[in-house]
Amino acid sequence: MLTAVKNQLKITLLTIKFALMREMLNKVTFVTNIIFMILNNASFIVQWIVLYSLKDNVGGYTFNQVLLLWGIAAGTYGVSRFFFKKAFSLAETINNGKLDSFLVQPKNVLLSVITTDVEPSAIGDILYAYIMLFIYGFSIEKFLLFTLFIFTGGFMLTAIAVILGSLSFWFNKTDMIADVGNSLTTNFATYPDGIFKGVVKGILYTIIPVGMINYIPIKILTEFNLGLTIAVLGFTIFMIALAFFVFFKGLKKYSSSNLMIARL
Amino acid sequence: MAIIEVKNLSKTFRVKLKEKGLKGSLKAIFKPKYKVVKAVKNINFEVEKGEMIAFIGPNGAGKSTTIKMLTGILYPDKGDVKVLDIDPKKERKKLAYNIGTVFGQKEQLWTHLTPYDNFKFFGAIYDIPESRVEKKIEELKELFELEEFINTPVRNLSLGQRIRCEIVASLIHEPKVLFLDEPTIGLDPVVKENIRSLIKRMNKEYKTTIFLTSHDVGDIEKLCKRVIIINNGQVVLDDSMENLKYHYLNKKIVEAKMKEKVNLDDEEGITILKDKGYNLKIEVDTQKRSVADALKLLNPDNIVDINISNMPLEEIISNIYKDEAGK
Amino acid sequence: MRKYLFIFKSELMSNLQYVFDIFVGFIGYFIMLFILFNLWEYMYSDPSELINGYTMSQMTWYVIVTEILWMTLGGRKLCRKICNDVRGGNIAYNINKPYSYIGYSLFSHLGGIALKGLIYTILGMIMGFCFLGEFPTINIFSIVAVLITGILATIISILLITFIGLFSFIIEDANPFYWLYSKFILVLGTIFPIEYFPAVMQPILTFSPIYVVSYGPAKLFVDFSWSNFLSVLIAQIIYVIIGYLLCTLIYKKGVKNLNVNGG
Repeated sequence: MLTAVKNQLKITLLTIKFALMREMLNKVTFVTNIIFMILNNASFIVQWIVLYSLKDNVGGYTFNQVLLLWGIAAGTYGVSRFFFKKAFSLAETINNGKLDSFLVQPKNVLLSVITTDVEPSAIGDILYAYIMLFIYGFSIEKFLLFTLFIFTGGFMLTAIAVILGSLSFWFNKTDMIADVGNSLTTNFATYPDGIFKGVVKGILYTIIPVGMINYIPIKILTEFNLGLTIAVLGFTIFMIALAFFVFFKGLKKYSSSNLMIARL
Repeated sequence: MAIIEVKNLSKTFRVKLKEKGLKGSLKAIFKPKYKVVKAVKNINFEVEKGEMIAFIGPNGAGKSTTIKMLTGILYPDKGDVKVLDIDPKKERKKLAYNIGTVFGQKEQLWTHLTPYDNFKFFGAIYDIPESRVEKKIEELKELFELEEFINTPVRNLSLGQRIRCEIVASLIHEPKVLFLDEPTIGLDPVVKENIRSLIKRMNKEYKTTIFLTSHDVGDIEKLCKRVIIINNGQVVLDDSMENLKYHYLNKKIVEAKMKEKVNLDDEEGITILKDKGYNLKIEVDTQKRSVADALKLLNPDNIVDINISNMPLEEIISNIYKDEAGK
Repeated sequence: MRKYLFIFKSELMSNLQYVFDIFVGFIGYFIMLFILFNLWEYMYSDPSELINGYTMSQMTWYVIVTEILWMTLGGRKLCRKICNDVRGGNIAYNINKPYSYIGYSLFSHLGGIALKGLIYTILGMIMGFCFLGEFPTINIFSIVAVLITGILATIISILLITFIGLFSFIIEDANPFYWLYSKFILVLGTIFPIEYFPAVMQPILTFSPIYVVSYGPAKLFVDFSWSNFLSVLIAQIIYVIIGYLLCTLIYKKGVKNLNVNGG
């Protein structure tokens, strides 16, 4: 069992390494992508400078905390898109029958599929995330916690993408819905939760787990709380398990490239 | 013991129908219409260890669907599949360690890496210890003559070289059964011949059971001793290559160039395929009429040139398809 | 002119089959506006408060309009298409056609986005009313004025993006320039009206494309005045002319080089 896990991990890391090597063939494009993503994220600071010129406190966050919120948002986004890029086009992979070559390998199909490509610009997101952490205030403890949370959050974003993508096993035309669903979390992730009220706030801690991905980590980074940390870890495991469950449930419905659309 | 056992295997797909125009697409969203397509209907067959078997049929006959159920890609609706006594449905990973697959149109290699690095990667996928992988690569490199380009990135290789590498990649873990789906598609005749002899050699060397689908009659004729023909999702013929040929070998094609025009009509055992005055092409059913009889009809003194041949396998197979369709 | 209307119409018709996609895409727009609505509700301690001359309702309607203009535009796709036309040699194929490439590009893109614009406008208005329970003070004339300036805003955007795309004649890849342009419009011209920025920046923003492609129509919608309409309209007409001239200039120069190089 343990060797199986070790072997699986080895293959996953090797796949990511090879995918990265492929992206690095064109070094200029590779570096440009990363730099542009950092600039892209940085441009949004303008919005917050304007807002904080009106009020010292937006949704219970100080300006510094908003920077940290952006750090977590960019970091989780970066982790999910860098390591698991293909999770975000899973619907397409399923519809085009591209799972075949992974199904004949003695490894976990889902992991093999989603790690088979990396997104270079996501490196820019991750770098930007750490820049935000340094501006917010650096300490070894914060660095470790921050790293932990961009990974738990990244895993949760990936899990959501896998669940939405797996809908394609059952229904047609779900790729657009998956796209909208994936951008949903990102949209909410960059605004303080204090601006939302009531039901919406409830949704943000459950169905769209932005609370678990972004808001609670901000709380923990501001003031450490063991209970909340365990809650985040627990929810991450739950989301990952759910993603695997849904994917493998759907896999039985997989129709390879046989599902074509006949025109009348 | 049979190495592949297929019992009452069936698979159905729901194919979405789309009507034309805006109304059609709106309807498709809210009330999608489906057509049930029975891709595979109640198939039965067995393959013995070390056999080289050809699994053929026209497009859409259910070939790929069957091969995908055998390799664990698709879930069957009904029936049982056992490959090496493993049920692909239940133990996909265990099966994967023991079989190899080459899908001619789908590439499994990383194109920016060299074949060597790719082989090492596949070694890792199948959990083979480093030292054994090295040895195996060395061995297959000899067998498949890869020395020249084993350190050239795959994207710089020719199609034929790539296919060879694809086959080697699927042999790293010493599979007991190898599934080849259209392995020679798009290759030129010389390369095709080369790939065929390599496959043959491999079968001899490692006693690997080979399950081959192909449109190329050459592949089938040169490699396989047994043929399963599938059409409309059903097995229409499961016989040895010899029987298949023999069954149709009683038909001879006689092509003759004549000095003078002959007037011939179809009669018992003789069918006129082509009659261009001086050039004749007739089919003789030797069970009903001897070839000598047929030649007498032509008047041997008048023959300038003659060629008597067996019916080509291509035609035999297409005849079987047609017979089936006619039923 | 008739052939351009035909191009517009056939693009529009072929887009009818994507109605479903447009509705799904609207969900994303809805979420974004929902967040911004919550943000403004939070920022205003009471609805009658004025920040930089805007009430809370006006701020929300302002963003609804600028975001409709922005999301409908599909600028990245347009820029990519023009870059590909230039680099892929499609433009050489267009030289012999009896229409201008600029006109073709403008009308085919307009046709491609018209339906989306219509659906977003209708749904956006309904959504805004649900959020706020009121419309800004409007009348028939102001609605017509906003529609005219809105369409002109889109035409100017398309011309400017076409201009950027045609830069591919000179440099390898013009997409980064589009990226800069889009950041400029998004960050400085979509979320806040010009009045929200420091006094030193305001004149610059007023003369920039922001005034004609987003601020103008949105401001007219939330606070209509005839004098404002006139100044926006004049500015837009000037921009249309400049935009068209710039496109023609770079296109002619580019095609000339193309001929010299033998296509």
